[in-house]
Amino acid sequence: MKTLLVIREQESAWLLDQFPGIHPLLVPICNKPFIEFLVDFAILAGSEALRIVSDGGLRDVELYCANGSRWGVEISYGNINPADDTYTVIEKNRRFCLKERIMIISGFLFIRYDKKSDYTSLFASLQSGELLRCPHGSISLTGDAASVISPAGTLPFSLVALDSIGKYYELSMEILRSGLNKYVLPGYSSEADCYIGRNVIIPKSAEIQKPVIIGNNVQLLANTVIHANSVIGSNVIIDRDSVISGSIVMDNTYIGEHLEVENKIAAGNLLIDPESGSSIIMEDPHLLTAMTPSRVAGTLLRRVVHTFAATILILIQLLPWLLLRPIVGMQGKWKRKREPYYTALAGKNVTLTSTYIESNGSLSTLAKTLALDRFSLLFKVLSGELALIGNKPVRVNASIRLLPNRVAGYRPAVFSYAEAEDWPEFCIDTEIVEHYYAVHSNPMKDISMTQKAIFHRTYQNHCT
Amino acid sequence: MNISEKTVNHYTILSLQGILNASSAPTLRNYIAGLPEAQSLVIDLEKIEFLDSSGLGALVGIARKKKSSSAVMKLARMNDRVKKVFEITQAYTLFDIYDDVSAAAEA
Amino acid sequence: MIFHLDTTTPQPLGVVLLKKRIDSNNSSELQKAFTQWLQQTNNFVFDCAELDFIDSSGLGAIVSCLRKALEQHGDLKLAALGPKVAMIFELTKAKKLFSVFSDRSEAIQSFSTVSPK
Repeated sequence: MKTLLVIREQESAWLLDQFPGIHPLLVPICNKPFIEFLVDFAILAGSEALRIVSDGGLRDVELYCANGSRWGVEISYGNINPADDTYTVIEKNRRFCLKERIMIISGFLFIRYDKKSDYTSLFASLQSGELLRCPHGSISLTGDAASVISPAGTLPFSLVALDSIGKYYELSMEILRSGLNKYVLPGYSSEADCYIGRNVIIPKSAEIQKPVIIGNNVQLLANTVIHANSVIGSNVIIDRDSVISGSIVMDNTYIGEHLEVENKIAAGNLLIDPESGSSIIMEDPHLLTAMTPSRVAGTLLRRVVHTFAATILILIQLLPWLLLRPIVGMQGKWKRKREPYYTALAGKNVTLTSTYIESNGSLSTLAKTLALDRFSLLFKVLSGELALIGNKPVRVNASIRLLPNRVAGYRPAVFSYAEAEDWPEFCIDTEIVEHYYAVHSNPMKDISMTQKAIFHRTYQNHCT
Repeated sequence: MNISEKTVNHYTILSLQGILNASSAPTLRNYIAGLPEAQSLVIDLEKIEFLDSSGLGALVGIARKKKSSSAVMKLARMNDRVKKVFEITQAYTLFDIYDDVSAAAEA
Repeated sequence: MIFHLDTTTPQPLGVVLLKKRIDSNNSSELQKAFTQWLQQTNNFVFDCAELDFIDSSGLGAIVSCLRKALEQHGDLKLAALGPKVAMIFELTKAKKLFSVFSDRSEAIQSFSTVSPK
């Protein structure tokens, strides 16, 4: 048997809003990434192969699960479009689905199961068709059964639609209270209802009550109390005299001193109330702070190269600018606009003066060809606010707040990679080129791309 | 880059072999310009050894042209190298991608 | 911060409407103002309906207001805590120190129903 897992971005978008930067399939439930529960179930049901298809990105999932050799199951990945129905999805994966019995899990679902049940023979004998359905998805089977035996009573598994942070919390608590022996969970368990990871430091004065799950590299300080029904992730520090009860502390979180975290989810510097869905950011070191990773050192070389190149460009452009700027300005073809733009750092903006030169005269065309409209922006490279080449700066706009934060490697710049290529016709195309170079660029390549960008300016269609 | 052509149902199937980049993208564009405008295509990418942003740009351009003349363009059998480029650029949102050529040529 | 004296109750009552956020920038302002209000009354209601955020220094200021009110044999009650502010009070165990009411009128009433000892 094989399993086809159909995940649509829209169904899990809420989770990405709650825990930005982590793929919804990798969000841990009781310290185990969500996808692993699905992989376990697929294997229990007798699958030799699993394909994960989505209309969104699967890069992080692919990095984590790789080819599935860790679980002894073959894992592959595929893309679909948001509008595709089940039939189209199967057609798009026909080679995978050919001549096989396929279990199709469609939707952002958690499947309650019990690892002690015999799902392999159950699935081999189930009639094809839809097995279970809930408001957000379904499990169905295709292909013929070896010998159909109608199961006695209800099926020994059920679905939970994950559609809100409240549901996520409830599910975690349900597993803690009554499901710890039904699933395979990470950590040592020398006694029931108690899973402890590696490198966990527990002082004598700390108190831990069951059921509890604690990840790796966790430090509990003096007089901390972990009450029943708590999940502590990996790389967590709970500072002295703090109390955690009925709460989920996600990976890489620091809980300050003398705090009481009750029925909450703490993730980095975010404290979420699962009941109301409201959250607070702890910007205050006395309460909670996130452990932010330091900026990559490799950006230093890039900065030096960009500054150097920008200085040369300024020197080249200085004379033409001094000559042409007053004349073109007098002709009224030099248009300027000051607007705020997103920077690479989330939540920080920069105000840029964008210049637009109307190129319907010989002098203004010359000014445009020489890229004089970017002259003032080059100084922003020297001050480190812009890169020389990178992404086209995105104007601050409430409706697209997610874009620059979500796109890895967004680097606002004087020139954009899309300008360097001569094919951008539409905005989405521009994005594609910029994504490509966000991953494939290096400082030396940047210089040649800048040259290309300046060279292509003569026959450039601007993307608005 | 080599292009081989065959016809299944009403689809023209183009199997590309080799490198699809800035220098070979015009070859593909010209080849497709030689076909009738409303001809639906399946592009088989199994034997593509390298794809860069210009190659991707060519594919996007072809898909757009086909859409505007209400024909269809589908991609089939992406190998891991091609998949990686699609994943990085999030270009998969623009295409219908099949793992089998005959399935792509049916719908 | 808007302060007014409510005289509908047996004793004059200081009602304070806290706005936006109380953090390290304006917490000392609140403490200073509070010592002046204390000369008019020793019973207070802090209406938090328009309060979006407090940090630890803001919290410290409110707790010190409570302590001063208690020293003068009065009380300080909180009303209409928003979800975010309530979370900070719970997290820091400060909620246990205060009587908290769901809205301003309830908090004001509580002063007249409970007879002073």
